[in-house]
Amino acid sequence: MARLPYIEPADADPVTKQVYDDAEARFEMVLNIFKITGNAPEIAEKMWQIYFDILQEGPSLSWPDKELLILKSTKMGDCLYCVTQHEVVSSRLGVSKEKQQDIVGVEYRKSEHYTPAEVAILDLCAHVVLDPEGIPAPVWAQVKKHYDDAQIIEIVATIGAYLQVSKFGDALGVQLEEVWYGHEPVLFAVEAPGSKASQHHLHEFMAKEPVA
Amino acid sequence: MPATAVIDVPTSELEETFRNAEEHFGHVPNFVKVLANNPTFCKSLTDFMIQALGEGRVDWAFKELVILKTLRATGAYYSYGAHEKLAADLGNSPEKIGDTNNSLWVNSDQFSDGEKAVLAYVEQIAEDPNDVGDEIWGSLLEHWDNGQLLELSAVITTFINIGRMGDTLGVSDPILFSKLVG
Repeated sequence: MARLPYIEPADADPVTKQVYDDAEARFEMVLNIFKITGNAPEIAEKMWQIYFDILQEGPSLSWPDKELLILKSTKMGDCLYCVTQHEVVSSRLGVSKEKQQDIVGVEYRKSEHYTPAEVAILDLCAHVVLDPEGIPAPVWAQVKKHYDDAQIIEIVATIGAYLQVSKFGDALGVQLEEVWYGHEPVLFAVEAPGSKASQHHLHEFMAKEPVA
Repeated sequence: MPATAVIDVPTSELEETFRNAEEHFGHVPNFVKVLANNPTFCKSLTDFMIQALGEGRVDWAFKELVILKTLRATGAYYSYGAHEKLAADLGNSPEKIGDTNNSLWVNSDQFSDGEKAVLAYVEQIAEDPNDVGDEIWGSLLEHWDNGQLLELSAVITTFINIGRMGDTLGVSDPILFSKLVG
């Protein structure tokens, strides 16, 4: 159960309602993570613009590249909510199940599904999540070989934003919407969550029956 | 030297963003100048930082302590000194700022019970946000309303983001608010 009430569209103030309308236009529904920010509309308005900027093609980076970064960073953070949704989004954007599976650990480095450019940003992503102070020079060299400064900002902004929203949603107990029930986990089937609490969330989710 | 170029002179697309940053911070932080390599993200992230760093539903002086605790708990270096200075400029005593470190806050007389509940929440999010238990949440609810708890959750996780981005990109901002120098 979420820690704060979801503010439904019918109860939203005008600022929040506009955010919901924008979200629905982009994502075909108002997700619970949007609804919980209705508790402080002034924050919702500015916060979600960053995600609207990420979840699209460009301006500098391809949307599938951003999805790889989202999957990698949120899987490392054991975020069931983000990983589940972005497995589906990634699939819709053409990222195969096999490619998604190889994102776990360092399998992507030797995977036939990944280009050297993709390997470079996934290596960077892993370091950003674990220890940005320890990013080795060869990792930066590979990233800079394949990406310009505008793209590097978009890469780092995507990783940072998904570290933010995944921890935000998990801390507030935001639940997956019924539309995801029945989804077969891809990344967490390769490697279970490390966190016991997250293992529990996954177990509960797997027990849900798909909603017609 | 940052991982990308530092853009001192904004393109026309970013003139308003730089102007807003200067108005809010007293100067344009280096973080904004690095983000300027990507105007779309420079705009949205700068707007969000301006919103986060100021008075809100929670007193700004306490939010700065929450930011300091978040940066420490997640091993982030970017702008730590600037936030320490800002925390002092906003009226926090050196003793209170010092007691945000490690577990000193637990037995410190500098913090109210409501403030201690938030510091426990920060530490839990840093360790495992999936495992915020009823005890922590119950103590938060005793002292803070829904809007404040949403804001506090946003501040904590925003500065996990900003700390990671600043450290990754190698940005240095020794002073964030030049107009608030105390």
